[in-house]
Amino acid sequence: MNELSRAQIRDLMAQVLKNQDKELPADDAAQLREIGFRSLDFSELALRVEDETGEELNFDAPGLRRIATVGDVLDFLVELQHQ
Amino acid sequence: MSEPADTQLVPPSSVVLVSGGSRGLGLAIVTDLLDAGVRVAAFARTITPELEKLAAEHPDRVHVGSVDVTDLRAAQSFVREVEQRLGPIDGIVNNAAMGQDSLHAHTATEDIARIIETNLTAPLQLTRLVIRRMLAKGLRGRIVNITSICGQRGFPGLVAYSATKGGMDAATRSLARELGGRMLVNSVAPGFFASEMSAVLGPTQLDQIVRRTPTGHLTEPVEVTPVVRMLLREHTNINGQVIVVDGAASI
Repeated sequence: MNELSRAQIRDLMAQVLKNQDKELPADDAAQLREIGFRSLDFSELALRVEDETGEELNFDAPGLRRIATVGDVLDFLVELQHQ
Repeated sequence: MSEPADTQLVPPSSVVLVSGGSRGLGLAIVTDLLDAGVRVAAFARTITPELEKLAAEHPDRVHVGSVDVTDLRAAQSFVREVEQRLGPIDGIVNNAAMGQDSLHAHTATEDIARIIETNLTAPLQLTRLVIRRMLAKGLRGRIVNITSICGQRGFPGLVAYSATKGGMDAATRSLARELGGRMLVNSVAPGFFASEMSAVLGPTQLDQIVRRTPTGHLTEPVEVTPVVRMLLREHTNINGQVIVVDGAASI
């Protein structure tokens, strides 16, 4: 399976934010709440990852609710690709 | 079809089939109906120790079985067993359902199909099965569909689930018309429970719902069972309705 690396996902995340005139901080510990990265932005990012890999990423909401930092987003998407 | 109204009253149900009767609201309904002296047939995918205990306590009034509601053939033979042991079924509570907790865009298509099969197709087929038997015997009876506030109000993460619950509410109205007063058909639509399926909403959303609820608490199964019992047992003219039990959270 064609899989995206954490760094590639980070680039896509930066694009999602850039489209909204927001910037992705370099620090993985940065809080999503402060950056303004919301759950539908996560959806958009997941769908962009899908586009790149050609594999659907389906997941339940509890996983989504645990996400609080940039690092959490990247970890979750890396992990989802392995499922 | 416009025909003269059937003015004979529908008697209280005496043998009630409850789907998904092994835990949560279903188990509470079974317990409550037994306390009211009703004969109860309960099935669920897995029979819990709680349901087994009830069956042991009331051997002459309870029949339990391990049946998946989507397995129509198994449901059919369960209904036949029930009729032999307890007598003809004249009441049904469609309670079995599966929950959902995923954004629609990220819900696998096979999961959407499974939710619809379990929560909409299966109860419609079970209802058909039971009303065919009631009609054939000239019986009058009651049907109660357990739906959800989701059938009327929107909640994220519950798109397919809401579609099935709204679908059952719609079926309730048309069935009440179609059965022309021979059977009373109603829905009971609870708000979110603190336990079980409403774990789906997550603590933040649940706190928000509690804050917006005039009665100040989430719905408990024991607050719903009297309404189900009333629809099955009391002489009322309630038919084709959806009764919301949510402390006015949705008002």
